[in-house]
Amino acid sequence: MRWLLALALVVSAAGEGRPELHACVVNAKAWVVGARLTGSGLVKLDANREWQQLGFVHPMVLAADYDRQDPSTLYLAAGNGLIRAKDGGRSWRITTGWDVTELQDVTVDPNTPGTVYFTHTTGIRKSSDGGDTWQAADAGIAEKYCETLRADQSRAGHIVAGCVNGLHRTTDGGASWQRVGAEGLQIRRVAQSPHQPMEWLAGTQGGGLLRSVDGGATWEAASDAAVDRNLYDIAYDPTTPGRIAIGGWSTGVLVSEDNGKSWERRSQGLPRWDVWSLAFDPSQPGRLYANVHEEALYVSEDAGRSWRIAGLEGAFIYRLYFFPGGQQ
Amino acid sequence: MIAFLLAFFLAPAPDFEARVREVITHNARPASLETAGYQTIAAKLWLKEDPAWCSRRLKEILDAGPTGDMFWMFPVTAIAYLDQGQLTAEARQALRDSWRTYMPFRGDTENHWLLYYTSMYLMAQKYPGEDGSRWFNGKSSAENFREADEWIRWWVDFTTRKGQGEYDCTHYIGVYVLPMSYLAAWAEEPAMRKRASMMLEYLMADYAAEQLDGIYVGSHARTDDRQVLEKWYGISSDLGWLLFGLGYHSPHYGSYPFYYAVASAYEPPPILKRIATQRADGVLHKELKRTRHRWRFHEARNGEVYKTTYLRDAYAVGSDQGGLLQPVQQHSWDVTWKVADPRGIHNTLFTVHPYSGMMELQAYFTFAPDPATEMVYRSKKSYDSPDKLLGGSPYEQIFQDRDTVIVLYDIAPGARFPHINGFFSKDLSMLVEDASGWIFARGGDSWIAYYPLAPYSWKPIEGGGKRLFSPYLKNGAVVQAAAASEFASLDAFRAAILALPLEVRREPVPSVRFRSLRGADLRFTYGEQRDFSSWQLFDGPHLQAGRESGMLEMRHGGERRVLDFRALTITQ
Repeated sequence: MRWLLALALVVSAAGEGRPELHACVVNAKAWVVGARLTGSGLVKLDANREWQQLGFVHPMVLAADYDRQDPSTLYLAAGNGLIRAKDGGRSWRITTGWDVTELQDVTVDPNTPGTVYFTHTTGIRKSSDGGDTWQAADAGIAEKYCETLRADQSRAGHIVAGCVNGLHRTTDGGASWQRVGAEGLQIRRVAQSPHQPMEWLAGTQGGGLLRSVDGGATWEAASDAAVDRNLYDIAYDPTTPGRIAIGGWSTGVLVSEDNGKSWERRSQGLPRWDVWSLAFDPSQPGRLYANVHEEALYVSEDAGRSWRIAGLEGAFIYRLYFFPGGQQ
Repeated sequence: MIAFLLAFFLAPAPDFEARVREVITHNARPASLETAGYQTIAAKLWLKEDPAWCSRRLKEILDAGPTGDMFWMFPVTAIAYLDQGQLTAEARQALRDSWRTYMPFRGDTENHWLLYYTSMYLMAQKYPGEDGSRWFNGKSSAENFREADEWIRWWVDFTTRKGQGEYDCTHYIGVYVLPMSYLAAWAEEPAMRKRASMMLEYLMADYAAEQLDGIYVGSHARTDDRQVLEKWYGISSDLGWLLFGLGYHSPHYGSYPFYYAVASAYEPPPILKRIATQRADGVLHKELKRTRHRWRFHEARNGEVYKTTYLRDAYAVGSDQGGLLQPVQQHSWDVTWKVADPRGIHNTLFTVHPYSGMMELQAYFTFAPDPATEMVYRSKKSYDSPDKLLGGSPYEQIFQDRDTVIVLYDIAPGARFPHINGFFSKDLSMLVEDASGWIFARGGDSWIAYYPLAPYSWKPIEGGGKRLFSPYLKNGAVVQAAAASEFASLDAFRAAILALPLEVRREPVPSVRFRSLRGADLRFTYGEQRDFSSWQLFDGPHLQAGRESGMLEMRHGGERRVLDFRALTITQ
């Protein structure tokens, strides 16, 4: 099962062209509302290793996902609402109204065509028609502020959400949610293993790393790595089972080669240890990207053992993704 | 010469229409047209002068690339409506195209949203029937109009039933008045024009009832490091001068009052002018406001804010109930005394606990924890300073009875800054530390007695004055103000205060029992339950509004004017 999922990702990406690195970014140090901004929002690294702006400059594109049936359509969780970006991200339409703001995360259910979820300041919304219409989908979550959510890549209608008070899961497409762990903790990121789909990790605010091995039904502390830190991102290496990277504030980049049993800090060459976002390149084993807060995007060719600047100097990158390429 | 200067400075403010013209004319004549911006273009279009320059300059600015998000939207919207055939077709097209090629951020406060949606409403109204490809957000004119209309109506309804969120702001009052002025002038739908003009009156009334010769007094949801000391230095004073001829305006009149002027220039009704300028000596005014949206850590999205303001001819005393009611820029209580010319004068006295922390920032914002304080610091420099004089604290509780304030602190052990700061102005004409423990002060024509609950020392303040520094977790003060006309001398005031029974204790929690100068036996203990259920939206001799009423009644003498936002009627 685990290899099938990883293979599906690689085949899917290969069929659609080499995966391309996308970044949700604010590319200006010390930005405040109203200040001039360039090169921010959604950008991607093109085949010529140049950064391309996709769509409008926007200070608050926090997360993205792509339509599995039409990978040239992206969904962006943004300050102004949920943006459906067609033509490889260039043509935007805000599909929500005044009743939601400051979206935090978005996820597409790959097993239910047209189904998208996002988190915002007061809960979770769901669309079943590719973003044309949205309905509240957070029944059962008492404290609605949710920072992150991820659709299970192997089971339709299974979603894990990380909220202001713990981890929540739905198995019925958002009709009902149950708190499944981490009570009292704010959750900052959840991630599913591409190799073992029942395995999930969650990064917390001050509570370290949590793990589930039953598809998000139950959770326990994963390790003592960064236990008192705020973890901002988790990246599984799709090319190398067992390799995971995590990053947060004052943690630098921590890498495990044994599926989280042990962790090694691999931050040599990074200017500071405040890490926002991470992504392994699915087409280049060992290549890992990391954003250091308002410093730059860094890349390592040896799974974090050494780093060099990869552009976007001064940037604060909320998220890094590899989306199918060739969407010109 | 002296007579001429006296006549100049003591001359009464010109009438309303003349003041409006003065503001606009000033903005039409900048020192240099080379770098003039949208404001000058709007002013010249209003005056119907120099349209060729307006067109050329507008095109230049837009070609350079819009910036400023919602703060870009409102000047450009004004220009679109002030154009009235004066701009060239090329300039007009550049303006129109900018709403397709530039995506403004909607922001994260109600003032941002009011600017954003008012601009969207008016621009969609101006360019009806266009599809989504003509707008930055991909929505059609009809969709944009409907969304903006819904949010504006929601905001008016919510505010007139629950109280304003960013209430009584010395600066942001302008940001609320401006959009209402736009809609009152340019909305085509009569109901929206009516709603906006009524809301203008509502905002003006809110200010008129709580100002001292134009200076906005009492507690504020938002003010800033300068305005909290130099009370005059705010957009509210520009508006006080423009609307009512009160006090002094800033040299540039303020940008928001300018845009108010070029749009509706809605003249306050006579009753509001009388409320602003003819008030009894000794007015007790109460208000119910609300917090901004709280996304985390609170069951209620918008908490209630209970304001008390007592106004006399010589001074005003105002407060909220204390606690963390607004992020970063809250100002909870003070005594403000009147001075002939308040420019450059720090005519106020107050205390704060300097609090900063994630519970505050993450409740009101979507910040990630670690860089949040730094991100706030970028635009709010004092936020994380132990010396700061601005901001609310979860460890502060306030009780007010007319011109008596009891402020208590029970700061949690381990708090980032375990002390309180008291502001004692450079402009106090007298400051005496009495052996009794009381501190006696005189500001303008006011006496102030301040009894500290805990030992303190003095620290200098950059820009003048002294900071009372008291490094005790259980802390507080008793403050009694009085008019100079009540006591002929400091000795007389001192004797009167020392004759008042006072009991204080700091353990186990701060507690005070005090008989005020007004004869009230006051008891206040930190943490005690208080019943605010009868607190109304407005409750004073000049303004009355019940909770959830959607109404406001203005009163002056036998005169009445009632705004009913549900029926959209004004009755007089």
